[in-house]
Amino acid sequence: MKKPSALATAVFVLLVLVCLFYLFPLYWTLITSFKFNDQIFTYPPVFFPSGIDFANFFQSSSVAHATSQTAIGSIPWMVDSTVVAITATLVSTFLIAAPAAYSLVRFLKNVWLGRLILFMTMIPEVVFMVPFFTLDAQLNLLNSWWGLALVYLSLTAPFATWLMMGFFNDVPKTVEEAAEIDGLSPYQIFYRISLRLVTPGLVAAVLLSFIFCWNELLYALILTYSPFPTGSETVPLFITSFLITDKSFAWGGLAAAGIFIMLPTIVMGIFAQKYLARGLTLGAVKG
Amino acid sequence: MKGLSEVIVEDLTKKFGSNTVLDHVNLKISAKEYFVLLGPSGSGKTTLLRLIAGLEEITSGAIYIGGRKVNGMSPKERNVAMVFQNYALYPHMNVFDNIALPLRVRGKSKDATARKVNEVAETLHIRGLLEKKPKQISGGEQQRVALARALVRDPTVFLLDEPLSNLDAKLRVEARAFLKKLQKEVGITTIFVTHDQAEATTMATRIAVLNRGSIAQVDDPYTLYSRPNDVFTAGFVGSPGMNLVRGVARRSGEEWEFHNDDFDLKLGKAAFDGEKGVTLGVRPEQLTVAKGGSGLAGSVSNVELLGSVSYVTVNVGKTPFTVQLTGRPELEIGDRAMVGLRPESVLFFDESSGERIGAQGT
Amino acid sequence: MRLSKTLRVGLVLALPIIVYFLVFFIYPLGLLFEEAFTTAGGTFTLANFQRMQTDPVLLTSLQNTFFYFIGSLGLEFFMGFGVAVLLYNYVGRLKTLFRTLIFIPLMVSPVVIGLVWVLLLNNQYGPVDYFMRVLGLPPLNFLGSLSLALPSIIVANGWEYSPFVFLIIYAGLVTVPQQLYEAAAVDGMSRFQAFRYVTFPSIRGVMLVAFLLDAIGVLKGFDLIYVITSGGPGYSTYLLSFYAYKEAFVYFQTNYAAALSLLFLAIIAAFVTMVLKFTPVEEYLGIRRAKQ
Repeated sequence: MKKPSALATAVFVLLVLVCLFYLFPLYWTLITSFKFNDQIFTYPPVFFPSGIDFANFFQSSSVAHATSQTAIGSIPWMVDSTVVAITATLVSTFLIAAPAAYSLVRFLKNVWLGRLILFMTMIPEVVFMVPFFTLDAQLNLLNSWWGLALVYLSLTAPFATWLMMGFFNDVPKTVEEAAEIDGLSPYQIFYRISLRLVTPGLVAAVLLSFIFCWNELLYALILTYSPFPTGSETVPLFITSFLITDKSFAWGGLAAAGIFIMLPTIVMGIFAQKYLARGLTLGAVKG
Repeated sequence: MKGLSEVIVEDLTKKFGSNTVLDHVNLKISAKEYFVLLGPSGSGKTTLLRLIAGLEEITSGAIYIGGRKVNGMSPKERNVAMVFQNYALYPHMNVFDNIALPLRVRGKSKDATARKVNEVAETLHIRGLLEKKPKQISGGEQQRVALARALVRDPTVFLLDEPLSNLDAKLRVEARAFLKKLQKEVGITTIFVTHDQAEATTMATRIAVLNRGSIAQVDDPYTLYSRPNDVFTAGFVGSPGMNLVRGVARRSGEEWEFHNDDFDLKLGKAAFDGEKGVTLGVRPEQLTVAKGGSGLAGSVSNVELLGSVSYVTVNVGKTPFTVQLTGRPELEIGDRAMVGLRPESVLFFDESSGERIGAQGT
Repeated sequence: MRLSKTLRVGLVLALPIIVYFLVFFIYPLGLLFEEAFTTAGGTFTLANFQRMQTDPVLLTSLQNTFFYFIGSLGLEFFMGFGVAVLLYNYVGRLKTLFRTLIFIPLMVSPVVIGLVWVLLLNNQYGPVDYFMRVLGLPPLNFLGSLSLALPSIIVANGWEYSPFVFLIIYAGLVTVPQQLYEAAAVDGMSRFQAFRYVTFPSIRGVMLVAFLLDAIGVLKGFDLIYVITSGGPGYSTYLLSFYAYKEAFVYFQTNYAAALSLLFLAIIAAFVTMVLKFTPVEEYLGIRRAKQ
């Protein structure tokens, strides 16, 4: 075994520091959630708490606050987030993006259409916030799951389409031609052959879209005003409600809620990691 | 019924934009023939096959399959089957489903489908692979699955696009024999595309040689070999290729002679008057070479040993002649040698048109 | 009218997205134009656009957005690229572990991140402050300072999104064929030269993709501002996105907000057009291969 050079060791140390930089804020949140209330705002700050207090997760902290301001309290919001994210994700990926991407790659092969899709992924949320509010109001869908999911389509559909285009491009044409000769109609080819061959892309699209909907703030802020069951406020609004009302209390509960809320997306993200990188650089290096 | 699987190509032209890939092509393929489209890459042979299949649209002309005009019909309606160069098996399905799909699409019952699939799998010796996925089987096995999928629905015409080029040399030879036998057993009109002239001559009943979008010649393999109509076909068919030499044929008295910068050759009775630019063609096995004797003098530039047969290339001046010998040659590079030929075995091609001029003694 | 089969099938498959396009792009765009060119009363006016020309808050917002853009992209690229290169070249078996760990910040909601960084940057009890004092630096009130608030947000944003750049660049590095490096080694190139002549050209496309995606992400930035500083202190962390939001939903000036939205859209369109003009981005994105 070669002994690593001095340079390699130095780089390794640097990378460890980098990792610590990325993980430290999360670590801090984690321990804050476990800390007893009197350890949260101290000087010098406590890096290694002496005990673990689960209070922040399940019941209100020692400073009297409603149970709603703990991790468990976030559940109504999580219900909303889950329903909205799943709906928006599935509709945009399977109903809109997949057929559209296939069409653009095999049939409507126009450069400008592709550019249009790309442009649409780049539109910031703020641009259409006023019209979307009007739209939801007109359809009487404010503060509802469907209203929010509907608007989320604007965020997930173009991105999913663009992502799937790269994957469909990689399906060998000869396999589709063989299916044509075997007697399948174009729609059958799409559904029974091509769609089955792009599963990594579909997984990437679904996972990314879900994460995006889960973390989204602006539209949720505008279009909802109460959580399940009276409304459909999503998880980010649970957090912000803390911050706006009590800026210096219940940090422990807040931290616990934060951890609780982060977990689904982190798990999904790790799982999607291998699909993600491939999808985003598809074609980029093949040239 | 014989008429059912004839394929007729009538005055077919195909353009991609301004690029003419096929130019007024005419072909008549009889039922049950093993017909080969032979040509170098870019000659249009694959395009022609795809037009017959219905995967591309015709620019002008017509195609008839079994007496029906099929212009504009989808591949399904034409009832053709095709095997692609890379087999194009469905990667996400197992072998059984791959073969069964054409039947399922046509609404066949589960039992009838299973029966037919097993039958075809038996014929192609792939019964044991039915549960496997394409990526789990070898190249040769994949090819047979592709064949099975094509044959399972009793198509009218069987189209193959260079299906042997992805196999290694030994498998290729086995596959050739296998395909030939299979075709005879099943008795189906087959159109086979290849750039390999050895494949063509070993398997075909008739071959159409394509050169840059036009048909150069259509004949059975032997005729193609011994009586090529033009210089392109002469050079393309046969390996190693026919020796082709440019020069001038001149009549002198009752006889005529061939001249080029390096040698003169006396030939027999004159075939025409005056003088003509020609290309002389003679096959390696029609020449002899020896250290002494009569003939054309030159020096050996290359010797290739192929086991029972050898090829010796002799440069007569600047003109190379490749000669076939049996056994081991006693010549080495640099030796002086004499190339002998019989005037009767020589073919002549017009310099400008490339067509064969009535050759002597054939 | 008989459409060719190709066109017909293509349109049927694209039907959902065409409907989507009309509902979620054309219609809202129309609404925006309508709002932007009317007063609160409903009459036609150009007042909103006139107001834009002299609005000091808008100017500050644009400046901040620009600064934020440059700073964020720079930081994210510097870190993402650097880490990718270092990880790829100098680490052996632990690569996957590092990669997974570095990937995590990307998955966390910006809202949660905002909250975390508020905690971290707290000027009395925050660990960052603690570290600085330990190192002998003077204590700084990050989020309360006019000059430091925006940079703090840039760091928080960089923390979340530099792994994104890292991921893309790393994936690009991995696909460079090993044989090119071997050829370079045989040719006698130093590590640095190999990087310049082999690695860099190969990942140019990937870098472009990363740049484009990242730029878009940054331009969209809203969440962190809302959570951490609400635009303050003063207007030092006002971004165009935040300003538009405030005008629309806090001050209920929907007309002006619509005008701002249109401005934003125009900026994005200009940016994308410029990028597309100067680079064959589409090849790299796999939407269209240059040589079919």
